[in-house]
Amino acid sequence: MGDTDTMERGEIAPEDIMRAQVYDLLGALLRDSPSKDLLTKLTALEGDATPMGEAILALSKIAKSTGVEKASREFHDLFVGLGRGELLPYASYYMTGFLNEKPLAKLRNDMARLQIARAPSVYEPEDNIGSLCEMMAGLILGRFGPPADLTTQKDFFATHISPWAGHFFSDLEGAEYSLLYTPVGTVGARFIEIEKEAFRMTE
Amino acid sequence: MARSKDDVSGRRDFLKLATVGAPALAAAAVAGSSKAMAAEVKTELGYSETQHVKAYLDSCRF
Repeated sequence: MGDTDTMERGEIAPEDIMRAQVYDLLGALLRDSPSKDLLTKLTALEGDATPMGEAILALSKIAKSTGVEKASREFHDLFVGLGRGELLPYASYYMTGFLNEKPLAKLRNDMARLQIARAPSVYEPEDNIGSLCEMMAGLILGRFGPPADLTTQKDFFATHISPWAGHFFSDLEGAEYSLLYTPVGTVGARFIEIEKEAFRMTE
Repeated sequence: MARSKDDVSGRRDFLKLATVGAPALAAAAVAGSSKAMAAEVKTELGYSETQHVKAYLDSCRF
């Protein structure tokens, strides 16, 4: 997969690759508890004095003092729990108050249209934030076929992410159990704002 | 429906400014770990060891 990514990146604008990378980063952190490898990579992140840079820097700093065990426990408390975790990171839940509601059905239609399939071994509903970030990155970089044009990206974002993701990331920032995930929430919230603003400019 | 060139370049400039703080290098490495919606490990019992299953097994001290 990595090779096709690089090959196709030639035609994709650098700022779009940057967007995809932020989506991938968020996706990797929200899909599963971070591996040792991912934590090590986080510690290498650098940021400048912009709001986004500061949030990234905070994430990098906290990653330095977080071990795999600790990260895994935090991920568990936040998203898994016994019965449920502190947060329910699903579009359907945030948009309707219930899991597996209309937003999930709508997403499945769009996934079929965009030729995105769920891996056969995954049973979690597709409208979780990690998968949605992964799908955005895939659309931008063309992992599901040719890279999606801006209108397609914008529609997908506006329907499935924009209405609730900012709210979710703020919740993550302020969650009782979040420590490593506090700056993840900050990065996410700021990035969603940037995306909203940028898509507004294409109107 | 056609977007004007100005809109697109405005968006590009904005993104460049807004995301410069997010460094490409390490995020790029992270991207390699993407596996199109997380594969799960099959346990011997024949079901997928999802986070929820792990949570349950942990609670039983298996």
